[in-house]
Amino acid sequence: MDDHQFKEGAKAALPIALGYLPVGMAFGILARKAGLTTFEVGWMSLLVYAGASQFIAIEMISKGILWFPIVMATFFINLRHLLMSSTLSLYFKKNRFRTLSLLSAQLTDESFAVAISNTSKILNRPSYLFGLQMTSQLAWIAGSVGGALFGKLIDHKEYGIPFALPSLFICLLLIQIKKVRHLWVMVIAGISSILFKWAFPGNWYILLTGLLASGIGMAFEIKLIPSPSTASGSGEPLARRGEGEPARRTSSLERGGGGKNKG
Amino acid sequence: MKLDTLYLILGMGIVTFLPRFLPMAFLTRWVIPERVKMGLGYIPISILSAIVFPILFFNEAGKVEIQPYYLLSAFPVFIFAWKVKSLWLSVVLGMLIYWGLGLLL
Repeated sequence: MDDHQFKEGAKAALPIALGYLPVGMAFGILARKAGLTTFEVGWMSLLVYAGASQFIAIEMISKGILWFPIVMATFFINLRHLLMSSTLSLYFKKNRFRTLSLLSAQLTDESFAVAISNTSKILNRPSYLFGLQMTSQLAWIAGSVGGALFGKLIDHKEYGIPFALPSLFICLLLIQIKKVRHLWVMVIAGISSILFKWAFPGNWYILLTGLLASGIGMAFEIKLIPSPSTASGSGEPLARRGEGEPARRTSSLERGGGGKNKG
Repeated sequence: MKLDTLYLILGMGIVTFLPRFLPMAFLTRWVIPERVKMGLGYIPISILSAIVFPILFFNEAGKVEIQPYYLLSAFPVFIFAWKVKSLWLSVVLGMLIYWGLGLLL
């Protein structure tokens, strides 16, 4: 564990913490109303740590639904993390399973988005991601336990709190836009997410949009950067891809990996 | 803790862990084809768009309904965040505008 990287990651998590504390409080309050104890609220935020699923679980509990359907619903809601975990895997080659399991256990939409907003910070730097995610989860647990204990002190709909996380996501989205084709993918993803949400129940729209729009993005790249017809995978094709952005990312990944070996 | 709640928390813990862990565990050990990497590169934009835009056009019950407070707050945050790529300032600005709108309207 690298202390400096950990602290850097913890600092990067502060905007997330600002959003998680009040939302966590709202969860704690509602969970108490649905009949969970403060102790159970804390354990759920520690072991499950998935905002949308926790709120839906509370909703289902208060309707008298038993544990198994809630677990199934949770499973489907969180399939979207498959895509985020796949993306992060590019930056953590050569880490032990234990490290990877801790890193991935705390993955959320927000921490993923902050982590990916500056990939040079996370490339083979698990301590940075630990700092970022530990701080975020700490805020979530503190918020939800706080809400369960002293629920009525703060109204979580006041002081612009409902717009904290949306603002964070807007900024994180715009950080990702570096080229005109990124803007196109944003427009396509925006429109298709609205259509998917309208057409399908639950949270499927995020996973479906992720697959569709990143597929279209990939198609743009393949069209713009002619790549070798088949996967020959070495030597000359790499040189040909030299001008393209993904190839540069690859080579920096390889450089990063090499640097770690030396160090 | 009631047994039912114990099953609930453990079950939710397991099913949230698996999709977070499995790709990270295995894709880090495999060689990823270049084209798949290109696709993965677009996942952040796609997912963030899918999180941001529906917030503006759906109500809390998940029905289509324009959210005037969110739209009016989002517009300046978009412009600000585009110019000044600061997470902190974007969050504070967004909260202030949303709060202000609530007081004014």
